[in-house]
Amino acid sequence: MIPDYSIGLLVAFAAAGTAFFALMRETDGLHRLLLTDLVEVVTLAFIALVGTDLAEALILPGLVVGVSELIALSEIYRVKEGYVRPPAAGLQIEVMESAPGILAAILVVYGIILSGFSGGAVAGLGVIFYFLSRSHNERFELIETASGYSWVLWIVAFFVFMLLPQHWFFAVMLAGAAILVKVMAKMSLIGTMRGGPNA
Amino acid sequence: MEGCIVLIITRISRFVSNFQNLVALFAGACIIISLAGILSLPLGFEEQQLYPKTDLDPASGLYPYDRGGVPFGTTEVVAQYPENSPYAGYVTAYLTPLSQYLADHTHYLGTTIVAHPGGIVDEILYNTRGLDTVVETSILFAAFAIASYLFRREAE
Amino acid sequence: MPEIGGSDLFVLEFGDILHYYTPYTTTLFVLALIFTALAILSRPEGQVDIAFGGDAYYAKETAVSEMRFRRFMTIACGLATMGAMGSGDIFNFTLFASLVGITNVGIVAAVKSRHVLDAAYEYGIVAMVATLPLFGGAALILATTGTLSIPALAAGASAVPLIGKALLALGVIGEGMAPFYAAKAEMFRAPGAPYVIMCSLSSLLIFLRVVEIAITI
Repeated sequence: MIPDYSIGLLVAFAAAGTAFFALMRETDGLHRLLLTDLVEVVTLAFIALVGTDLAEALILPGLVVGVSELIALSEIYRVKEGYVRPPAAGLQIEVMESAPGILAAILVVYGIILSGFSGGAVAGLGVIFYFLSRSHNERFELIETASGYSWVLWIVAFFVFMLLPQHWFFAVMLAGAAILVKVMAKMSLIGTMRGGPNA
Repeated sequence: MEGCIVLIITRISRFVSNFQNLVALFAGACIIISLAGILSLPLGFEEQQLYPKTDLDPASGLYPYDRGGVPFGTTEVVAQYPENSPYAGYVTAYLTPLSQYLADHTHYLGTTIVAHPGGIVDEILYNTRGLDTVVETSILFAAFAIASYLFRREAE
Repeated sequence: MPEIGGSDLFVLEFGDILHYYTPYTTTLFVLALIFTALAILSRPEGQVDIAFGGDAYYAKETAVSEMRFRRFMTIACGLATMGAMGSGDIFNFTLFASLVGITNVGIVAAVKSRHVLDAAYEYGIVAMVATLPLFGGAALILATTGTLSIPALAAGASAVPLIGKALLALGVIGEGMAPFYAAKAEMFRAPGAPYVIMCSLSSLLIFLRVVEIAITI
């Protein structure tokens, strides 16, 4: 009998071959960028096949590397093709114009209580909701600064774990709070960064 | 004979030097490796893994992330170098008060436990393999720096 | 285990992740350190274009902010290379290699030349999809041996499959393009020689390191 792991590998290798074949045939720049997603998914499948807690923890770096390179490359693509005109109006959803802003506040507060990664996602959703339902000036320098400092705090938490392991509880709380701010800041950029004036 | 080899090398280097062919070339190499991977099957799966998923208890409110242990006490974690992390296992067993309440009263915290401070994934990401997380966020940081620099410059 | 790097000079411990320095990796580390210092200290040149068949020439304009950004990326690239040289953990090494890949793109991404950007974009896509063989190789090694630590693998508890090593090597080649520099030649037309040199040096160093890893484990 063939063990499960080898069957999984067979599928993963076949999928990798197919994805790379598509990439090899494609010549258009933008389509190549889209096809890289096919490859990234197979990467995660390779890690997930290990099936331990460690694999679960390693998926996060694997995912983040793919996503961050996508951010940088799509911006390079935009610059090299010379797409400088900002898109016209944002989403035109009528119900959002009258949506109560308190919903955003509830999401943010609940996210802060949750804390950690998913807390950041929930709170970030609240911020997006606010940006969609209210007109906003682009104050991204503020968000960037918050995100940058929380990144530093996160790294500090890591070094507390390394150097002062007896203060592990402080480190966990620091990391949980910092990633909350970090994820919230990153998520709030989705769909809101439209190249408007930086107020 | 010698001229023939030179001709071949010239052709190859001309093909390689055109960056439009770069992706196709690398993709081709990856297809070959994928085929080699399929041919090298079956591969044995090592049963002695680090941080294994064992002792799963479907009745637990933390399922499938229940790794046992008492909060603020040691928990057994199969780390690579346990002597380097004297407090390994403490983060695994810790739950925030809200999480503890949800875990006691519902069966669904396991689906979100990874997201709270504490738990086995945080243990690995922050404590025992913290350097991975540092490098990972540095990659994100570099990518954001590139994207925001290009974005800002256009706006000027 | 063939000890091509020599015995350990010293070991840095970060929990489960060890950084170890043998005479081989220390040499590479010092090389990366020196070049990072040179990139910090040196001033980029001004490029001059000469019109063919005449006396006319014009100097290319390079903004200070652009050079400052590219120097930042160069330093990041140097730090990533130094990290990759010492890393004693397969997955950690692949992450450092990815960081080298993205900073390599960053070094030339700020250049205002369509031609250089085209090349950087194509190279960036390769660096991006190279994460599949990189992480795939690391995951395959983890699954078949149960560990990611290079010293533990070198001790030879269980054999590392050849396909895992091949995936790892292919991934590093994709991230840095070493030793196929012809493919990166167009990127090197960018001004700012100290920064561009870091592109090729870092990719060479991570390639030399992955060779050592593939032989050791």
